[in-house]
Amino acid sequence: MKTHLLLAALLCSHAHAAGEGFVNFIRQHQQSTGVVWSMPVVPQGEAPSQLPLEEKGALFQLWTIEQATAKDHLLDQKLVGAYLPTAGITIKTLDPYSAVPRTRADQPFTVTVDVAGLLAGSGLPDAATKVLLEHHLANYSGNQKSVPVADAVSGTPYSSAYLTTNGTTPLNFPVTNLKASDPTLATGEEHFVVHALGDDRTAQTQIASAYVQVWPVATGTIQGLTAGQRVRFHAPALTVTLSDLYPRSNTWLQIYEGPARLNTEGTPIEGSALILDQDTSDSRILTVSDYDDVMEKDGTYTIELLTETPFGIDRLHHLTFTVDRKLEVRATLGGLDGQ
Amino acid sequence: MKTTLFLLASLAGGALAAPPMTDRITPEEIAARRTASPVAALEQQVAGAEAKVARPGEQSLIKQSEILSDGTHWTLVPKGAVLHIPAAMAARVNAKPIGTLLSWNEFLVANRGWLFTEEVTMDQAAGKNAIPASRTEFWQKNGKVIVAVHLGGPISVIALPSTPVASAQ
Repeated sequence: MKTHLLLAALLCSHAHAAGEGFVNFIRQHQQSTGVVWSMPVVPQGEAPSQLPLEEKGALFQLWTIEQATAKDHLLDQKLVGAYLPTAGITIKTLDPYSAVPRTRADQPFTVTVDVAGLLAGSGLPDAATKVLLEHHLANYSGNQKSVPVADAVSGTPYSSAYLTTNGTTPLNFPVTNLKASDPTLATGEEHFVVHALGDDRTAQTQIASAYVQVWPVATGTIQGLTAGQRVRFHAPALTVTLSDLYPRSNTWLQIYEGPARLNTEGTPIEGSALILDQDTSDSRILTVSDYDDVMEKDGTYTIELLTETPFGIDRLHHLTFTVDRKLEVRATLGGLDGQ
Repeated sequence: MKTTLFLLASLAGGALAAPPMTDRITPEEIAARRTASPVAALEQQVAGAEAKVARPGEQSLIKQSEILSDGTHWTLVPKGAVLHIPAAMAARVNAKPIGTLLSWNEFLVANRGWLFTEEVTMDQAAGKNAIPASRTEFWQKNGKVIVAVHLGGPISVIALPSTPVASAQ
């Protein structure tokens, strides 16, 4: 039995971690004999394992080592055997980003688990009739942008359940399960693992795994202008504070006449646009000034801070103010008759 | 706005119409959307009879390996893959990982002068068959560090109790 597909999946699913500055290694651990083989590996692509699969199977591990620090990271592992069930996990989000499934704390995602090789019937051992699905949560702390896979899936799972039939099991999650004091700011990873059922002698039992990255909902404020303020001659300079902008997002200020009305198309303020297309969320502070030309007439105006992501457009902050440039001359007319 | 709507269409692969603008979601709205985990609807484990599974835990590739170094480059092979270390080459095995890390193939090409590979069978690697004495005698004369490989990849070799395969000059 060649494990061609397995290695392709291992390599491709973590291609993003195999970039410059990292060297990858695939190790095959023969479970019956304890022999460890280091498979020749290229940074991307697929290759068949040439070793025979023994009765108890083989554990494949994908490692990467960072050149600068000589620190090793276990990217993925999978137990494969001729008599073991097989499984695959795919995660779909509304973000088409392909390097890793990613989403936002308030957005839904779907986990699909495919299982094959389970047997049905009475008198069979549990290992032949069921696999265990585990759901692990790993919050990012501070400025953390990733969690080592082994750390994320080593503890007690958030939830787990048996899958007892071959075929596809879709699991729909309406929002993230990550915990945070403000759930809009939850960030981290949700890992899903399928284990074959082992015994005391089984070193590893993971037969499939996948994870989704969860980023917070952005926040933003406009400072320098207050609601209800009367703007006279020059509009004040604005400071725009943006936190947790989605990795792929477009953020800008717009102004339109009248009170605040959601879904109103206004005039973008020049110099306020910020386009991100990167791997992680980000925070920025922008300064905007000289935008009087978008307010030609006196009257009521609304300024809005908007951010557009793969999930839609969010209004982060808005203020309504008035522009009043009329000159009022107060003077007293005095007669010259008496002079 | 038109340009931003266009961006949204491209972000979504062009397949979806632009969704309406909304105010930033509140913590209460997220809490209201959250439902019971769909995993809870599947067959649950019985308390006290949980499945025996082995999770990855803390592991280290480097600790599971032997490091080879030429002073400016290094690589690693599975523990047990180094079959023979001449005394003069001892400093090149299990050295500190200093310099540039190379893949096994790159490191081998760069260090043919002191590194030699011994192709072994799976049964030899598993300790079921001994490596012929003629080969171990050759290693002694060869004067190079000998690394066991199988199909080009370094492989651990479990020595037969009666026929130690690793020796030092």
